[in-house]
This record gives sequence, structure tokens and C-alpha cells, in this order.
Amino acid sequence: MKTNLRVRIGNLELKNPLMTASGTSGYGDELGDYFDVSTLGAIVSKSLTLKPKIGNEPPRVTEVACGMLNSIGLANIGVERFISEKLSKLKGSGATIIANIAAKRAEDYLSLAEMLSDRADIQGLEINLSCPNVKEGGIEFGSDPKMLGTITRLARNAFPRTLLVKLTPNVTRISELAKAAEGEGADGVTVANTYVGMAIDIYKRAPKIHTITGGLSGPAIKPLTMAKVYEVRKSVNIPIVASGGVFTWQDVIEYLIAGASAVEIGTVLFAKPNVPEELLIGIENYLSSSNLENISELIASLRTGIDRAPTH
Amino acid sequence: MPTNQFLESASVIETREVAAQTFLTEFSSPKIAAAVKPGQFVMLSFPNTLDPLLPRAFSVCETKGDRVILFYVAVGKGTTRLSKMQHAEKVVLNGPLGTGFPELSRGEKVWIAVGGSGAAVLPIIISAANNSGASPTAFYGARTKNQLMQFNHIRIEFATDDGSAGFHGTVVELLKDKMHDSRPDKIFACGPTPMLASVQREFQDKIRTYISVETPMACGMGLCQGCPVKRKDGTGYYLACKDGPVFDARVIELAAGAV
Repeated sequence: MKTNLRVRIGNLELKNPLMTASGTSGYGDELGDYFDVSTLGAIVSKSLTLKPKIGNEPPRVTEVACGMLNSIGLANIGVERFISEKLSKLKGSGATIIANIAAKRAEDYLSLAEMLSDRADIQGLEINLSCPNVKEGGIEFGSDPKMLGTITRLARNAFPRTLLVKLTPNVTRISELAKAAEGEGADGVTVANTYVGMAIDIYKRAPKIHTITGGLSGPAIKPLTMAKVYEVRKSVNIPIVASGGVFTWQDVIEYLIAGASAVEIGTVLFAKPNVPEELLIGIENYLSSSNLENISELIASLRTGIDRAPTH
Repeated sequence: MPTNQFLESASVIETREVAAQTFLTEFSSPKIAAAVKPGQFVMLSFPNTLDPLLPRAFSVCETKGDRVILFYVAVGKGTTRLSKMQHAEKVVLNGPLGTGFPELSRGEKVWIAVGGSGAAVLPIIISAANNSGASPTAFYGARTKNQLMQFNHIRIEFATDDGSAGFHGTVVELLKDKMHDSRPDKIFACGPTPMLASVQREFQDKIRTYISVETPMACGMGLCQGCPVKRKDGTGYYLACKDGPVFDARVIELAAGAV
């Protein structure tokens, strides 16, 4: 049976639900050494800022049980160099490109969205409001529905193609933020960014990463984000892009059943840069053996019997 | 795009304990063996497990035909697990990665100073130096004698902090001592950060000095930007995984009082 893996977010049709998570695939150029990046649904760039950022002092990463803590500090070459140096190469690889943007002022989000809207080869925009690493930006915008709504509206007016808002999980009710994004015209929400975490070297009595706390990613967070995806699914009608701890094809299927239309992979790429190949094979086999022709039949197909989800 | 990096399923040929807590593991890994240059590294991951989750970086020690040999001190979860792997067990190697030591020319005198797991780079540098007609001399420091490994066919001048083998003192003190009689054209160094900082301080203004840095790394490919090395010119960071791990000692700032 021929399976159809296509999914839709706004006006963007992805050839399959696999995307890369921002900040885990550089600008897409390194991954091309390991597999054909045009086989992905989309590549999401590192968070781009108006001016280049050198990022945080080391150490920036440390491994914890089934996960990793990072505090990169949005190190990136800036939006102008991304457009002039990276975009054509990425386009040449045949990839579907989504640019992720971050800023510490509302007007900078607008400038970024305007600059990227002129480039038709950038098929989507993902707004990072939730990077927990940078003192001045990120967390304030992302944890307040009003601020989130303002930024979403600015970006929506400037950027005509698919607009995703990436939500922070470090809030009490993520569904409130998802509703704000939907209300201001986002085409989808990415659920979610990393969780604030911390690890200590007990012999030095020092934090294991320079900024003391950092973002936790990896399989450790998958059940947490699964619950967030389920919560958001019940609150909004726009598509959800799940992001959190995907390592296997089963994880992808699980997120789709919980309500996601697409899935971002991140930390797994560090260990297995060619992992999309095996994920796609696993997904196709699952669909075939389940007699499903279209992957979209899986989305939000959770069987709860009755609505017995507790109210949190 | 033509690539010179490979993800290779590599089977263990054998693992040997060669000094205290110190091991050599030999893998069958033909593509990487054919491509690797001195100072380049591989990221090693264990298939079918989430613990450890991330791959581990190893400078390649030596190649023999289609074999890649890694040398390491078993201190953490990844290295301890690797040290117990049996013949025919498999890992995934990603490499060769990074920028290694500069190529040497005929007649060039190079002194190679190593310590701890940094001793890994000795065989591969010596063999490349000999092939290009350069003249290498190896210096290897440790706290005490039982931490030292005698690589086959390599003449090494040892230094120990406690004087139990070779020169009594650090490997940097040994190099300074030798400088009274002669001078190399280049110095290559690989070892713990305090040792590298000392090499940098003593020699960077006198001799072309290249150091291979040790830093936490998550991906080894430039994806995560997790391995910054401070640029001396104050303009930010290099990435150890792509710009390094080998740097001209004059262009980077090692963490002050690194621990």
C-alpha cells in the first residue's frame, strides 16, 4: 500500500511530518553530510537575531540522565549573513526552509519578519519566544499571553507565509499561550521548547553549565511534552508541531496520536545525524501494518473512551 | 556534496588495558581509517541505548589498514562502558571530524607534548611525521609511572610529577629543560587544559605552537554550538569541533585557572 505522509501547516504542505528543531541542525548545511535534507518535511534554522550573537561562555552543554542541558545563548551569525551566506546553499539542497527568529524587543521581531518575508524561499517563520537562556529576551515574551499575542500579530502582519509560534513549557497553562497565538493569526504552535533544568558538580560544588540553569532536552522530557501537546490539542484548532525528546519512530507516532501534525527532532541528531532516514522507514512501516493510507488519520486519534483527562 | 565524513558501524576487534585505568580499543572502521588525519577526532555512540545518550569525542590514536584505534582513560560513563566492550560488539563512529594538526614538511623538527588521554595523538602524529620526512620527538607526562603507556616503536621521553619514571617534573618543565640544548620548529600539545595553558604560556611567543583542546561537546559537527573556545582577539568564540580541536596557541584563550 502506498502511504501518504503529507501534512499541512497553514499554506505549507510538508512532504512528511519530520522537521528539525531550531538550534540542533545549525543552518542545515552540516546535516547534508549525513543524509539528503530534502527528504525532511522542513529544516528549521537556528534562532536568527538582528545582529550576530557570540553566545554564552562555556561550558554550554552537559549530559544528564536521558537528557542534556544546554545554554548556548542564541549564538548565531545574524539574519543578514544567514540570508547572504546560508540561504542559497540550503535552498540548493532542496530543503523546505523555516526560519526561526528571536529578539529582545517587539520591534525587532517585526524587523526580522519583514526582512524574511521578502525571501520566498523561506516558506515558514517560527517565532522563538521561549528560549530560557537569554536574560533579557525569550522568557518574558513567551510566558505572557499578551506579549505573545503582540509579537504574533506583528509577525503575522509582516510575514505572509506559514507562521509558527514556539511555546515555552515553563508555564502553568501552556494552552492559554496557544490560544493567544491562535487568536492573533498564527498558523500553528510548536509545543514546546526546553524545560528549565540544572545540574551540579558535587565535587566542585559548581553548576555544570556556565549560566547555572539551562534548557533540558532529550527523552527525559518526552512524557512532559506529550501532556502539553494533549493539553494544547484540546484548546486550539490550529496545527501543533511537537518538539521534545523524539528519538525513535514510535515517539513520532505517539506525538501524532496525542494531537501533533508534525514533529521536530533535535537532541537525537547529535547522536545520530542520519536518524531521519530510519524514522521515515519506521513511520511508513507502522502506517502500512496499521492499514492507514494517510498519516493525517493518526493526528489527534487518541482513544480515551470517555473524556477522563483530569483538569489541571 | 562530496563528503569526507562518515557514520560507520564499527565492530570492536579488541580492548586492552595498557596503563592504570587506561585502554586501547581497536575497531574495524575502514572509511574513517582511510580518511583520518592527525589530531582529528571521532564521535562514538553506543547503539540501542539512551544511557549514555550523547556520543563521546575521541582523538584518533592510530590507524592500521582498515582499523581505527582509540586510546582513553576510563573516567566516565562512556569510557568505562567502552573499556568493557568485547570482540564483535558494535558502536557507531562519526568522523573524521574537526581540524587537526598542520602537516609537517621534510626535515621539520616537531616536539610533541602529551598528558593523560591526550597521549592518544602520539602514534598518529609520529607516523604522519615520519611519512613526510619530518623529525618528531615525543614527550609524555603523568603524575606517576603506572599512568604512562609505552607505545610500540615510539621513543618517548617521560616526565612524572613524583619522579617515578623519567624526568622529575611536568612535561612542560621537561620541554623547557630540553630547550637549553636545541629548539624545535613546531610544538604540538594535547592533554588536560592546565597543561595546555602552561604550554601556551611558555612557548607561544617563541615557537609555532599548536594545541588540541579538551572541552565538553554534544555533537562534534557544529550542530549544537556547545563547544566554544574563546578567541584571543575578543571577537567571540571558535567551535572546538570545527575550527579545532587543534588551534594555533596564539589565537585562543584557555579558561583561566581551568579545572
